[in-house]
Amino acid sequence: MRRTVLSVLALAGTAVLMGTGPAFADGPATPSPVPSDAAPSTRPAESAEPTRTPEPARKTPSAEPTRAPADGQVSVRPSGAPDTGVAATGASGTGGTAIGAGAAAVLALGGGTVFVVRRRRATGA
Amino acid sequence: MSPFSRRAFTVGAPASLLTACTGHGSGAPRPAATARPVPAKRARPLARSVPVRLLIPAIGVDTPVIRLGLAADGTVQVPPVTAHDRAGWYRHSPTPGARGPSVILGHVTVGPYGDGVFRRLARLHRGDRIVARLENGTAAEFAVTAVRTVPKTDFPADDVYGNVDRPELRLITCGGARTGDGYADNVIVFAALSGTKSPTSGER
Repeated sequence: MRRTVLSVLALAGTAVLMGTGPAFADGPATPSPVPSDAAPSTRPAESAEPTRTPEPARKTPSAEPTRAPADGQVSVRPSGAPDTGVAATGASGTGGTAIGAGAAAVLALGGGTVFVVRRRRATGA
Repeated sequence: MSPFSRRAFTVGAPASLLTACTGHGSGAPRPAATARPVPAKRARPLARSVPVRLLIPAIGVDTPVIRLGLAADGTVQVPPVTAHDRAGWYRHSPTPGARGPSVILGHVTVGPYGDGVFRRLARLHRGDRIVARLENGTAAEFAVTAVRTVPKTDFPADDVYGNVDRPELRLITCGGARTGDGYADNVIVFAALSGTKSPTSGER
């Protein structure tokens, strides 16, 4: 009987120790990883620290106004020189010259004819 | 009377000459003074608003302004070759009146249709007025600061597109000798903002 009582007591003691053992083991071991892992994971996610994370996020938009003056300048620089002149075809240019020369020739001919006719009339009279 | 008056004359005459000379000397910087107001008139930059019309009274320009971007080859787009030629604002540059160099382009000639909207751009002089009417109803007034004709092979991209700390305007067209169906040079008008006008009634 004593043996069984002793063995039961020993079992109970070991059971208590086993119960408290994990409690001690969890104390030093798991809490340290849990706060280190869980706290950062929860802090950015939901805790009060998310209110801090938007703040740095707001700082980046505040940096954009410094870009805005740069946007005020030419943002994309074109290459080469602008081609802002389509000249009339060369044929039309020479055509214009030919027309001018023809008109001048006609005028000269007409003037000459009038001069000759007047002179003949003057000499005839 | 005579010795005293002689002395007075001998003292007074050089003095008057000196004042005349200094007066003439002060007149010498006058051209610089007349040149100064153009860049010195620093009007406040305007808020961003797209240009809709361009007026250059000195050469009779009154044109709608379209938007231009980049061509596939990376060069700046130019207005289409049509009978009713228009100027175009390069949309990657600041709007006229905003800080920076606003770039507006126009043709000098449009092939079979004759003269382009910027046909007489090279005739502008320093101090001539340019008005850009904006979409929000305000008008940005510029004064010409320089007119340059440069070879296309040596286009001054830094001077045209480079950053500036005040509202400026660049008007670009072609000029110089003809090369085939184009031109050898670019005519560039540089202007600085000289004033602004709020929306006026009865005007677009």
